[in-house]
Amino acid sequence: MFKPRDIIELIADNVKKTRNPFGVPNLLMNRWWKGLDLPAEGDVMLFTGLMYQSVPYIEMTTRHLERYEDSALEDYVRYGRYMPKFLVGLGLALLSSKEEKKKSADMLHSIAKVLAKSKVDFFYSPELDHYSGVLLYDLGDIDGFIRHASFVADTLREKGVKKLITVDPHTTYALKVLYPKHVGETFEVKTYFELINFRGENGTKQVTLHDPCMYGRYLEMSDVPTKVLANMGIECVAVRNSGKFTNCCGGPVESISPKLSKEILHRRAEELKSTGAPVVTMCPICMTHLKKGGVEVEDLSTLINRCA
Amino acid sequence: MALVDLDFPEQLERFGVDTALECFNCGTCAAICPLIHEHFPRKIIRYAQLGAKDRILQESDELWRCLHCGLCTYTCPREADPGELILGLRRYVIAKWRGRADV
Ligand code: SF4
Ligand code: SF4
Repeated sequence: MFKPRDIIELIADNVKKTRNPFGVPNLLMNRWWKGLDLPAEGDVMLFTGLMYQSVPYIEMTTRHLERYEDSALEDYVRYGRYMPKFLVGLGLALLSSKEEKKKSADMLHSIAKVLAKSKVDFFYSPELDHYSGVLLYDLGDIDGFIRHASFVADTLREKGVKKLITVDPHTTYALKVLYPKHVGETFEVKTYFELINFRGENGTKQVTLHDPCMYGRYLEMSDVPTKVLANMGIECVAVRNSGKFTNCCGGPVESISPKLSKEILHRRAEELKSTGAPVVTMCPICMTHLKKGGVEVEDLSTLINRCA
Repeated sequence: MALVDLDFPEQLERFGVDTALECFNCGTCAAICPLIHEHFPRKIIRYAQLGAKDRILQESDELWRCLHCGLCTYTCPREADPGELILGLRRYVIAKWRGRADV
């Protein structure tokens, strides 16, 4: 287990400097929209919160941290001090895999495509699309969270943006619940899968849906993707522990203790694998983490885009 | 013998949680918590009730094992919001680490 204090201060410092937890410039992280020709202005903004774009960085950082936990080096791994050159900032950006970056961009492309296929009008502006700060909130750095979230909310307010389409559970929770409560800013927030509707039967018949904790319990909206899939003729087979009682994938503690996070992961991975149907989820953190547990996982957006 | 400070649950209100005294230590949260670890979070909530601040600070790293998964909050029979209490305690500990004068 790493010292939470070191990790929190490092992440808080990165968010202060670069507005994301990795110390990587946003412009470098957020490139999925290039070449897509999305409208740059409009009434409703697609707000990714940079979570899908974080996947390649999370993947790389945790892979290295895992090697040091419980080793003789652990005490020296003042995460961010001993390893600053290659695990934070530009060094990390260079290390993170191209293939992972392409995969995370593909998921965002699928989201934009299914919205367009459903005739949802939206615009995208990379300058307004920021990380929500939710990790600072989760780690208990409430002052850091409020400072960052106020900046994000101010930027949107100045441009008159009031309606947002989100793509992941953590950003959705932050904008729907935490921003009104802690920053005093209320947006009209909808997740992309609340806005789409397809009919017909196209290939995939059954899937195992892993409900992320934030959708299952905090936002109580597990039934929405289930219905979207049912309309497409795709059945979600029963999983032990789902909906309001869904089991955590273990992802949230990965930066503090890769070992603990693995224990939790293996339990969830077994529950999901035991159904026999392909696993689908709609959280980039869950997905990256479940893959580490040997589960083949597809993102909800690519499944829908493929079958719609 | 740990020092106790019975005003601590009230002090925690400044960190956004006011439910510490609702908990009656039934252990439902510890039973459902995926960490399966030394009566977590029931034990640390007990410390908060008693205001055993030195214990909380000594064992503070434990707070960051929590996944913020919400299972405990969802099942607590007293609506004591154990998951949010953990968050409030994290905020308290960080304020201590950062040397905030009023804690
Ligand atoms: S927080 Fe709730 S579930 Fe946990 S011991 Fe207290 S009363 Fe029981
Ligand atoms: S929120 Fe934390 S304490 Fe509660 S059940 Fe989940 S991991 Fe355990």
